[in-house]
Amino acid sequence: MSEELRRIAGELLSEKKVGVVIGYASTVADPNRTTPIFIRRPEDAEKLVWNPLCVNNLTVYLTKKKPEIQALGKPAIVAKGCDTRSILGLIKEFQLKREDVVILGMSCEGVVKDFRSWNGALSNGNIAQKCLYCKVRTPATYDFLVGDELPGVEEDDPFFDVKELESRSVQERKAFWDREFEKCIRCYACRQVCPFCYCDRCIADKTMPRWIESSAHERGNFAWNIIRAMHLAGRCIACDECSRVCPADIPLNLLNREVEKEIKEKFGYVAGMDTETEPPLRTYSEDDDDSWIR
Amino acid sequence: MTQVYRVESPERLTELLLDRGKNVVAPVAQGAVHRFLKIDSVKQADFGYFQAQMSMKGLFLPATEGILKFTVGEKEPRIEEPDLSFPETVIVGSRPCDAAALPIQDKIFEWDVVDEFYKNRRDKTTVVSIACTYADNNCFCTSMGLAPDSSSGSDLLLVKTDGGFLAEAVTEKGEALAGALGLGPVGEPGDRQAASQKAAELITRRFDSEKIPGWLAANFLDPLWEEMCSKCIGCAACTFVCPTCHCFDIVDEPVGTSGERRKNWDACTLWHFTVHASGHNPRDLQHKRYRQRIMHKFNYYRERFGAFLCTGCGRCIRVCPVSLDLAQVLEEISARAG
Repeated sequence: MSEELRRIAGELLSEKKVGVVIGYASTVADPNRTTPIFIRRPEDAEKLVWNPLCVNNLTVYLTKKKPEIQALGKPAIVAKGCDTRSILGLIKEFQLKREDVVILGMSCEGVVKDFRSWNGALSNGNIAQKCLYCKVRTPATYDFLVGDELPGVEEDDPFFDVKELESRSVQERKAFWDREFEKCIRCYACRQVCPFCYCDRCIADKTMPRWIESSAHERGNFAWNIIRAMHLAGRCIACDECSRVCPADIPLNLLNREVEKEIKEKFGYVAGMDTETEPPLRTYSEDDDDSWIR
Repeated sequence: MTQVYRVESPERLTELLLDRGKNVVAPVAQGAVHRFLKIDSVKQADFGYFQAQMSMKGLFLPATEGILKFTVGEKEPRIEEPDLSFPETVIVGSRPCDAAALPIQDKIFEWDVVDEFYKNRRDKTTVVSIACTYADNNCFCTSMGLAPDSSSGSDLLLVKTDGGFLAEAVTEKGEALAGALGLGPVGEPGDRQAASQKAAELITRRFDSEKIPGWLAANFLDPLWEEMCSKCIGCAACTFVCPTCHCFDIVDEPVGTSGERRKNWDACTLWHFTVHASGHNPRDLQHKRYRQRIMHKFNYYRERFGAFLCTGCGRCIRVCPVSLDLAQVLEEISARAG
């Protein structure tokens, strides 16, 4: 598939249909990693790779957080199914027009959960959790499909990952998150890696007034982590990048997944599957469930 | 000459310390990572670890720390001074690249104004490091003038040999600790050299760092910055795990009419580090922020304090969300410098 990808990318560049191809390359020092690369010349297309180490959700480079990438011209992007869901989400949020990006959709059988667990082959032990309930092994949208169409994973209970935590009492859950948030150092890797965290000025950076304390103490960390998750409600497509990059190893995806589950149960909505369905937190209907207002 | 002692193992040394009621901090396994935590029993420690995910910087410069308490709204604002007494602590099991960061940081925190929080902790802490017997391909300490068995910053350095560990007393503090624990001195540490040679061979990544400051001083606007660093997404993971990065911000956190002034880690890689009140940001794009990180570490700090602000521990490379490899950037700079 790498060969096919390189051929398409090279053609797009030599025919000047795009100014840059955003993809994955091997790292120089470490064969067990990949790194984002911005290819601008057709002859550099050979640097592109495709394998289970292509973990990054590259769509963060399509957002206004990265004006220097947008300055390179119309982008083509190498995207897994999960990544294409965030492209659809960005389109829905008016951050991107479909015709302004060329999607090289990768047919994907899963990626590794983090680089350090890679041992040369994908297995139950090292596959990313999101791949275990993935419905978009064939990307949700694409201009070129690289590889064969693949059916989505059959999983009776797609929210198996949050079940255990849900079964605990409120106090136990509070204690669980207190322990996790205690580790937070406020590096904002979770925010910076997220394609949906594109606010011009994040509420965590506002100082007049300061809404969220920047200190890595109980109050500050609780406020930050909860607000991050809540602001992604109905938007997060569970690419799990926040969990992967967290240097403190906080399972942030559990928060996102719980919110995703609530949105699905209350509103029947799944983010990033199309560009038409209105996101529930952006619309109002008289039929909306209001039984929770007491 | 350095006095050398012999000790069975880091575990045994820790037992001796705990038996004497010492406050001990050691690497503790937590999930997939290791952290430096206070321990009550040697069983909590894992000295067979590779490296702690967070450096031990936080033991001297915590991620957040109150520096005074205040109350306003009365006739005169009331200030409550902080408690600057810290407990005597022994850190057991730091890596040489963590320990080496301490003398580098001392230069700034004990420079024109002495940071009492840092200094008092430093004075109260004894550092017992263990020389590395494993390295990965992100380690580059030898290019930073160090080695897997460097003693810089350690008070006592443990080196594994065929017959247990040699304990080298690097400082008077280390000497005193060895004495207090009753470690037996070794006359001729014959196998030390073999261990040292073995250690040096661990590090395969090498580049000539001496050429780097000169190139940096002359190439602020080089296209390299954009080419290699545009993929940076602007988080602070690299700087916060770094044993030498030390920038902080001062914030007041009131609740009602009283509150606390706190010192929090801050990072040049973050957008808001340099944003002006007007909204203008002189480092408007991410590669300029990453350039600052490199300039500070390998040009400005070196010029002012005669040391690189880096020990080659490789944490920033391992933790980077986009695998931006600091050593690769340095290798490239070194190559361009010719």
